[in-house]
Amino acid sequence: MWLRRLSTDRVARRGDAPGDAPLILVEPVKSALRVQALNDAAAALGLMPDLPLADVRAMYPGIIVREADRAADHALLEAVADWCDRYTPLVGLDPPNGLLLDISGCAHLFGGERALGRDLIARLQRQGLAARLGLADTPGAAIAVARYGHQRLVAPGDTRAALLPLPLAALRLPGETVAALAQAGLRRIADIAARPRAPLAARYGEHLLRRLDQALGHEEESIAPRLPVPAYVAERRFPEPIARSEDVLGVIAQLAGDLSRMLERRGAGARHLQAALFRADGAVHRIGAGTAAPLRDAVRMARLFAERLAAIGDACDPGFGYDMVRLSALVAEPLAPAQSGLDSTDRAAALAHLIDRLGARFGAPRLTRPLPRDSHVPERAVAAVPAQTAGGLPWRDVAPPAQDSLAPLRPLRLLAPPEPIEDVISEVPDGAPAQFRWRGVRHVVAAAEGPERIAMEWWAGAAGEAPRDYFRVESRDGLRAWIFRQDRRGRDDAGAATRTTRWLLHGLFA
Amino acid sequence: MDPVPAGAAATLCRLRQDVARIEGHETALDVGTPLLTLGVAAIDGALQGGLRPASLHEIAPQAARDAGAATGFALALAARAGRAAAETLWIQTDFAAAEVGALYGPGCALFGLSARRLLVLTVRRPVDALWAMEEALKSRALGSIVAELPGDAPFADLTATRRLAVAARGGESFAVLLRHRVSPLASAAQTRWHVAALPGQPDRFGGLGRTALSLSLVKNRRGPTGRFLVAWDHHERAFSALSLGVAAAAVDRPGRAPRRRAG
Repeated sequence: MWLRRLSTDRVARRGDAPGDAPLILVEPVKSALRVQALNDAAAALGLMPDLPLADVRAMYPGIIVREADRAADHALLEAVADWCDRYTPLVGLDPPNGLLLDISGCAHLFGGERALGRDLIARLQRQGLAARLGLADTPGAAIAVARYGHQRLVAPGDTRAALLPLPLAALRLPGETVAALAQAGLRRIADIAARPRAPLAARYGEHLLRRLDQALGHEEESIAPRLPVPAYVAERRFPEPIARSEDVLGVIAQLAGDLSRMLERRGAGARHLQAALFRADGAVHRIGAGTAAPLRDAVRMARLFAERLAAIGDACDPGFGYDMVRLSALVAEPLAPAQSGLDSTDRAAALAHLIDRLGARFGAPRLTRPLPRDSHVPERAVAAVPAQTAGGLPWRDVAPPAQDSLAPLRPLRLLAPPEPIEDVISEVPDGAPAQFRWRGVRHVVAAAEGPERIAMEWWAGAAGEAPRDYFRVESRDGLRAWIFRQDRRGRDDAGAATRTTRWLLHGLFA
Repeated sequence: MDPVPAGAAATLCRLRQDVARIEGHETALDVGTPLLTLGVAAIDGALQGGLRPASLHEIAPQAARDAGAATGFALALAARAGRAAAETLWIQTDFAAAEVGALYGPGCALFGLSARRLLVLTVRRPVDALWAMEEALKSRALGSIVAELPGDAPFADLTATRRLAVAARGGESFAVLLRHRVSPLASAAQTRWHVAALPGQPDRFGGLGRTALSLSLVKNRRGPTGRFLVAWDHHERAFSALSLGVAAAAVDRPGRAPRRRAG
């Protein structure tokens, strides 16, 4: 599919320029503004891309000029590609203004290829986008007939006949190659298709023949899909758009039922679900939800999306309503048919569902399990692993070095980052503090244990950090804190060794 | 003290049962779910056997410096409450984590609650903590659930706690609201505790002693209130009563009855 006037359509859609007046978009090329794109009215005046703006202004002083914005063009192309997802899950980009749709096996859903094409063009036209469709056996041929062909729907097997009369530029060749071929009198695909291949390759490069082979189907070319192709899909289209969130949730619940039956037939469960809401004006909202264990229960799927929609809130604006809703399982894993009723499995399933729902509501990274890691540095000794993914990870309890003490060695709460404490007085040099001030309150130390020296891990990028000496201290009124001292050694201007000590509070014990 | 007539005692007993039924307490007793004992005779006696699971309890630190002690008491209860395979969900707000530190897995493991059985949820708004707690209670998948409420948490009033208490009643989970400040608000919790850190008894070499806590039971639906001094043994996961000479005198007298009779 070729979006002929993508850039100017974008400007016109924005309401930035009157629809039918000549419009050109310019961008700087080698310190001169040149035409990058133009609309049909401007093309009718005989203007061409790459003309300098000064020349255009000289010819037509009243022409409307806007700045080109390739990033916005690309974003629009992506949005259209998103929208095209309604026809087939296999949509690829062909920048700067083309899209590739693999509609094998999808066209009958829309009443045949011709009807699908008409529907696609009409819908895009309503959105203010001029599109031209080419349909052929290979991506290369489809691109060629979309842009240069008179007969745009090429029946299977007719590819060669349809391509031969087209100009060589249809083969997606660089401009220099086309110009060089033209100098040699080769203008049409027919001119090279019958010639000996070796001299052509020697003269114009392998690329020319590859493009020819791709277009003719001698060489395989696959469409790179933009989005992962889901394993299981259920969808509903509506003659009238729906906008109320209850309706949307109701539809998702129905789709979840469909999906659940599909998954059950294959003995699978979904690990990652996605609901795609196609808005009538072309925008597509995609809402994802992960699960901790393979999920097949329709009610639970529906509840996950209820949480997600509640959490997203206004970010998912229905506008004039959705005319299609699709629920797909992006990732599925085998799930043996479960025998329900046993207490332990019920509880495990209920827990997995709770994890999914809390993850859907607050975001999966917010519900974590503290996975011990093999590190002596306190803040690195634990990794907060999202509970949805923690299931399969190996769990190894890493105990801190054994120490003969009646109190636990590690605090219950860890401050990040550690907080500085002031007015630290020690009775013995390098010994435990006798008193300190934390958050403006003075604490007199009644008992202390330490020091426990923890060296920073030089291999983990903390080479410059000095080792820490940790003390567990208990104040006279019972505050138990984990504090450490860090010495920074250096040299002053005169070259004498200096030592600056800082004290920090890192955690609280019970 | 006058002996209570036999007929009056029976009436009183019946009335108590009626009140209990109206308040919906006895479900846990009927099901026969084991009570959560603290292992200290004085406390378990005051609680008539122990804390009820499937109910809501509130813990608050006496002063700001006791935040660690209150966390420790909640963790100790969760460690004792959990059945062998049951998990604990700990709900923290971002603000709470910034103010007194985030829950530290290795520390919890050493304190007695295995980090394998710990799930930590951090939420942005304190109201979300209540929502998450209610959902978790309804799911019946967890052994115990602790939600931290930083600041005064004025939204956790009688209505909000009542919702939680009702949600808790249906399952078997042990629910704890860990407030960061003592709250004057009414609450539907079964028990309310004010926890303060207590200087431990240093060992013979001047090191730290066992974690010692002062537990003030300020609300108890099933019996008298009181103040108890306990020590926590993190190896045995058991409380033991502290018998300090000075502390014994400081224990609040639980009964209000004698004074009323005198008047």
